[in-house]
Amino acid sequence: MSAIELRNVAKTYPPREPGLPPQDLLRGVDLEVRRGEFVAVEGQSGSGKSTLLHLLGGLDREFEGEARVLGCDLRAVSDAELAALRHTQIGFIFQSFNLLPALTALENVLLPDFFGDGVPDAERRAREALDRVGLADKSGARPVALSGGERQRVAIARALVARPPLLLADEPTGNLDARTGEGVIDLFRQLHRDGMTLLIVTHEARVSHAATRVLVLRDGRLHADGAEARSMETE
Amino acid sequence: MRTGKLIRLARGNLARELGALAVSAGGVALGTGCLVFFLALGSGLQNVVNDVFPVSTREVEVVVPQLAIGNLLGEQKIDDAIVQKLRALRGVAAAYPKMQLRVPAVTRYNGMFFGREIRMGLEVVATGLMPELVGQDARMPFEDRGEGQPIPVVVNRRLLELYNKVFAPQRNLPQLSESMLVGFQIPLELGRSWVVSRSFPGSQETSMQVVGFSERATLAGVSMPLAAIRRINKQFGMDPDTYSSVLVRAQSADDVGEVAAGVKKLGLEIDDTERRNAVQIGSAVEIVTMALSLLAALITGLAAVNTMQAFYASVRERTREIGVLRAVGATRGDVAAVVLVEAAATGLAGGVLGVLLARLAGALLDRIARTGLPDFPFKPSTFFSFELTHVLLGVGVALLAALLGAFLPARAAARLEPAKALTES
Repeated sequence: MSAIELRNVAKTYPPREPGLPPQDLLRGVDLEVRRGEFVAVEGQSGSGKSTLLHLLGGLDREFEGEARVLGCDLRAVSDAELAALRHTQIGFIFQSFNLLPALTALENVLLPDFFGDGVPDAERRAREALDRVGLADKSGARPVALSGGERQRVAIARALVARPPLLLADEPTGNLDARTGEGVIDLFRQLHRDGMTLLIVTHEARVSHAATRVLVLRDGRLHADGAEARSMETE
Repeated sequence: MRTGKLIRLARGNLARELGALAVSAGGVALGTGCLVFFLALGSGLQNVVNDVFPVSTREVEVVVPQLAIGNLLGEQKIDDAIVQKLRALRGVAAAYPKMQLRVPAVTRYNGMFFGREIRMGLEVVATGLMPELVGQDARMPFEDRGEGQPIPVVVNRRLLELYNKVFAPQRNLPQLSESMLVGFQIPLELGRSWVVSRSFPGSQETSMQVVGFSERATLAGVSMPLAAIRRINKQFGMDPDTYSSVLVRAQSADDVGEVAAGVKKLGLEIDDTERRNAVQIGSAVEIVTMALSLLAALITGLAAVNTMQAFYASVRERTREIGVLRAVGATRGDVAAVVLVEAAATGLAGGVLGVLLARLAGALLDRIARTGLPDFPFKPSTFFSFELTHVLLGVGVALLAALLGAFLPARAAARLEPAKALTES
């Protein structure tokens, strides 16, 4: 069963300056990701990786083509339905953590509980999520008092608190040291074993090695997939 | 999004941006503080006007027109028949005739006056009132006890105020209160005048006894029972049947117009000098209050603009955070609600602060007035009347100003595209 289905998806940004051509960030992308897959998306800077991630997460609806995530047609649903999809079905992890500085670690993890119908048994789940990322003792700390690795783990806990079936991550280990990054990758493996679908945008080979499938984007096109991508990675 | 969580989320942001929002709240506080201050001042001054000119909305004073042709020919007068006609007018609840003392009278007081030796001689002007009109204001019986007995009098409270604030200080006389004077007797010589320096035939010595203080009593002199005035006028061969005026009480304030028309038809007119004074001064106070309130509204409007700028800046600074909120499931409405709750908290804080500032400024000015201004008649203990409606209006206006100010920034925040917001640096 498909978690993600893209058919001929294209995304164009208006020209940066008058006279310049529009920027094609995604061009005719076709993709199917089955539920439970652990997919790494590679590509150079500007290849369209983050754009693809935002589009899959329902954060950007201005694209052409057809996109279905967990059975939801992203262009057909209302803004509120899309918000509900993000709230209950998709977890996001960002490279720059994006924690709210005014909230404690626990409150940041609880953030999805603030919206929609909330998260069932939210506080217990939030504490469990913090425990899972090894930060049970930092629940009262504000982001400014946490290291980069700790902040990213809080962000991961936040993405997991609603127990979404799909996890989207944008360079989740990009700002972490090798040891902390390894811990995060281990966590992704564990989540994959638990049946979660993961789509991780990364530059790092160790993340791709952990994934069950690798995609390579180049100039907005899906350049390689699966074994082909693996061989490119080896090269 | 549930209210408790919304407030929790907004509280964190407010704490973080305390400095900027304190400036916004300060602006709102200044505007609403001015508004509450001016409204309370206007209300307080209106109370002073009401004290100086206590007018009833359903009572009118009926007199003979000064320029009536009938009056010149000696035909127009107010007698019992006219009073009956007045009582029979549609909308009239009661009519109380008044009669002037038509005989000269003086008082001469030599002796101790509340601990001070004085020598005093005054012309006495008196008006007769029906006891029902004075009512409970008289603490002793207000009835004519007959010739040779002290004549009960009621005195207008404003006269006592003028005595205490003007007459007594200038002459080093004691300050008096109503309770001190009730029961006090003053000699009275009927049929005598200091002005023309002669006695009328049949002049006689008697006394007046103060039995109470009433707004119904005449301002020019003292008020005696109507029966006593009638008796004295008759005794000295003066007209005992013609009244000088009639106080007509309408059944309701709405009936006053109809009553006035009926009075006019009887060839009489309404003496509304005092009412006009009260209305004119009251209107002047109202206009000034309104002008100052408009100024306060302008300040509040500027505060709303300031709030708008502060929230635009806040939304700009938090663009990425707004993107995060959208990413974890916030709808556009949720984002707008967070901004508006922050604005409401700012407005509420500004409103409460403004009310407190207004009260503080009022108390300070009252204190300055108490110690710095000379004592003058009807000087109030406070120039301000802070009413609950002023407080509610002040806080309400503050809340509204902050919400209006934050409306556009909230809309802008709600319209942010999450993907773009998340890539903002």
